[in-house]
Amino acid sequence: MDHMQRTRQKPRYHAQRQTLGIIFIIPIVLFLLIFIVYPVLYNIILSFTDAKLLSRQFSWVGFKNYQKIFTNMRFPTYVKNTIVWTVASVAGQLLLGLSIALMINRKGSGTGLRSFLLIPYVVPAVAIALVTKWIMNGDYGIISWWFQNLGMMAHRQSPLAIPGSAMATLVIVNVWRSYPFPMLIYWAALKSIDKELYEAASVDGAGAIQSFFAITLPHLKDTTIVLIVLRIVWTATYFDLPWLITGGGPAGSTTHLPIMIYQASFGTFQTGYASGLSVLLGLSLFLCVVFYVRKTIASDTHK
Amino acid sequence: MKKLSVILMILIMMGTMVFAAGSKEETPAAAADEKIVIWTNLTADAQAKVLRKQFTEVAEEMGVEVEMVTISFNDMYTKLATAVESGNVPDIMHTNFAGTAYLYAQDIIIDMDDVINDIGKDDFIASYLHVLNAEGKTWGIPDWALHTSVWYRKDLFEKYNISIPKNWAEFKAAAQKLNIDQDGDGNIDIYGFAVPLNAVQVAPQTYYEFLYSAGVTTFDPKTGKYTFGSQKKKAVEVTEYIADLYRTVSPPSSIEWSWNEYRNALVEGTVAMTLDMGAVIGLAQNNNPDMVENLGCFDLPGQYGTKPASFGSGYAFVVSNRGSADKIATKKEFINRLYTSERAAERALSRPMFAFPSLYSALEIYRQAPTVALFQEQIATITDAFEHSNWYWYGMEHGLSQMSSQIEATTFFGEALQSVVLGMETPQKAVDYIDQMLQEQISIIE
Repeated sequence: MDHMQRTRQKPRYHAQRQTLGIIFIIPIVLFLLIFIVYPVLYNIILSFTDAKLLSRQFSWVGFKNYQKIFTNMRFPTYVKNTIVWTVASVAGQLLLGLSIALMINRKGSGTGLRSFLLIPYVVPAVAIALVTKWIMNGDYGIISWWFQNLGMMAHRQSPLAIPGSAMATLVIVNVWRSYPFPMLIYWAALKSIDKELYEAASVDGAGAIQSFFAITLPHLKDTTIVLIVLRIVWTATYFDLPWLITGGGPAGSTTHLPIMIYQASFGTFQTGYASGLSVLLGLSLFLCVVFYVRKTIASDTHK
Repeated sequence: MKKLSVILMILIMMGTMVFAAGSKEETPAAAADEKIVIWTNLTADAQAKVLRKQFTEVAEEMGVEVEMVTISFNDMYTKLATAVESGNVPDIMHTNFAGTAYLYAQDIIIDMDDVINDIGKDDFIASYLHVLNAEGKTWGIPDWALHTSVWYRKDLFEKYNISIPKNWAEFKAAAQKLNIDQDGDGNIDIYGFAVPLNAVQVAPQTYYEFLYSAGVTTFDPKTGKYTFGSQKKKAVEVTEYIADLYRTVSPPSSIEWSWNEYRNALVEGTVAMTLDMGAVIGLAQNNNPDMVENLGCFDLPGQYGTKPASFGSGYAFVVSNRGSADKIATKKEFINRLYTSERAAERALSRPMFAFPSLYSALEIYRQAPTVALFQEQIATITDAFEHSNWYWYGMEHGLSQMSSQIEATTFFGEALQSVVLGMETPQKAVDYIDQMLQEQISIIE
């Protein structure tokens, strides 16, 4: 085939490859459109209606649902609960995950230990909730018994029955449940750090702590950004543990936005109102993530 | 050729996705008519087993096919809502009164007066029929019902010379006498009365027993008009009383106690009294058999003596209005056959203790069953209460009302009561909040 013939055939070849590529991505695009884009758009539309689970008819009400949300006296408390739950859980699981990743990254830690450390992540939320309620029971729970005997709690009292400690219990349980994920991600990231950097630092007289802050942490920055983004989104939308352990109590002290959405949908059957709440939650998370990532990139660029 | 086969494969995959997502199976009308789908919320083995046995027997008698689906109570509303939206409503539902109210509000069930008359209306306990009434018709057939009583330690009442209290002042005094420090260490080992306030369902059930005992209702039993708002002063008294009981005679952790916790507390002997519908006996038989003979029950007294009403619960069979006229007739016949005295008693006996059948004739068989032989005194106390006093499920004082499922599925009662007992809110504010939420729910229903 001469050069002229090959030149004529190139555009046709590219067009064919392009067509094939488009055909390959059609199924996933359809999937995304049907199962992600459409429900999200429909949810946004519903949030401007008076839709209820009890009725098939609904009408446009504009921003009435949003007005109702912001004038709900308990809404600021639930937002505060959501922030406390999310920030404390994410901080806890990242710190614990990193600590354990550093530990298992050393020589001598085998597959057995790493597998054992993954157990919390695979235990079903229902089982975790049941065991938590048992050990926290004011009459026979081991944790409550310790607190009562140390004089930190009244006789036959339970941490789940006191507003502040109920939230603390949920956070601790969630940190325990969730740390394996950051642990694995950090462990993989630690493996990619060049060992020669540590050797060079050691030759220069740097100790373990100095090496950690000067070498390890900077190399984990991108990993940490990704983890923070993912864990914030996942944690802020967790419904299972708070609902199963405390039901949002006592006195609404562990009620967060996902519980509020659940109550609005399946408690009072106000799907329009619930959609408004979920739009607000989704938007807040999106803005948080964008703000955080941009700030981090900006500080990198500035350096 | 290779390219063509790849394209063909992709098209087949996409086609499969489209058809899998939305294919509608054409069921031949005759086959659909011969099969009856029944949903029941009773998932415990003992109960599901009896239901399956009876459904199979009746299906064989009628020459139809039956499919029983158990759905946990916690999933009920979401599954019902989905079923209603998708049009896949089962033929028969076996659900609680609140579920019946929801189905009635969705206009997917039929009235059962003809079946009730066929079975024999006089054989039904009147208060059970009343709760399923709306617009002068009965929209389900009551299967069995539960009544709230105060379950107490007979041995401790005897030991401390306490009589059955006749009003709230005596009740609190009795509970205070039963705050017992067994080992003299300054800590109360047995509390007088458990006040469980878990926000998920338990708090409203506790609250409503006291509200009804004081004469407060959500709706007027005669007119159906909303009355809670005009009874707020009395509701505040009730709230103050419950808060007082919590602070003086109930374990501090009871604020988050659900059914398991307060029942276990009575059975294990760490509280002396608790409100319950009778499951404590079954629990005691399994976990602490020695405690069984020490347990008795009495009706929670009225605030000043005579008690206007009690809080109760129960299950009913309802029939959906889907299907041909022949199919509906088949479903009604199916239900009719389930209401022999023997079958009604068998279903009630498969429950934890003290689920009373809705037929008097079945009640006689129930009383003679060996499993309840030891509890004739308690059975007499409870049957006397629901035969001679008013008896309601929350929000259904005037009959079927969707309000009951709203109350059941939300946590605003629990949140309000917990706030009061923790000192975070005054009883007046809590009652105002409950009133506001109830009125909001009414506007949603209407």
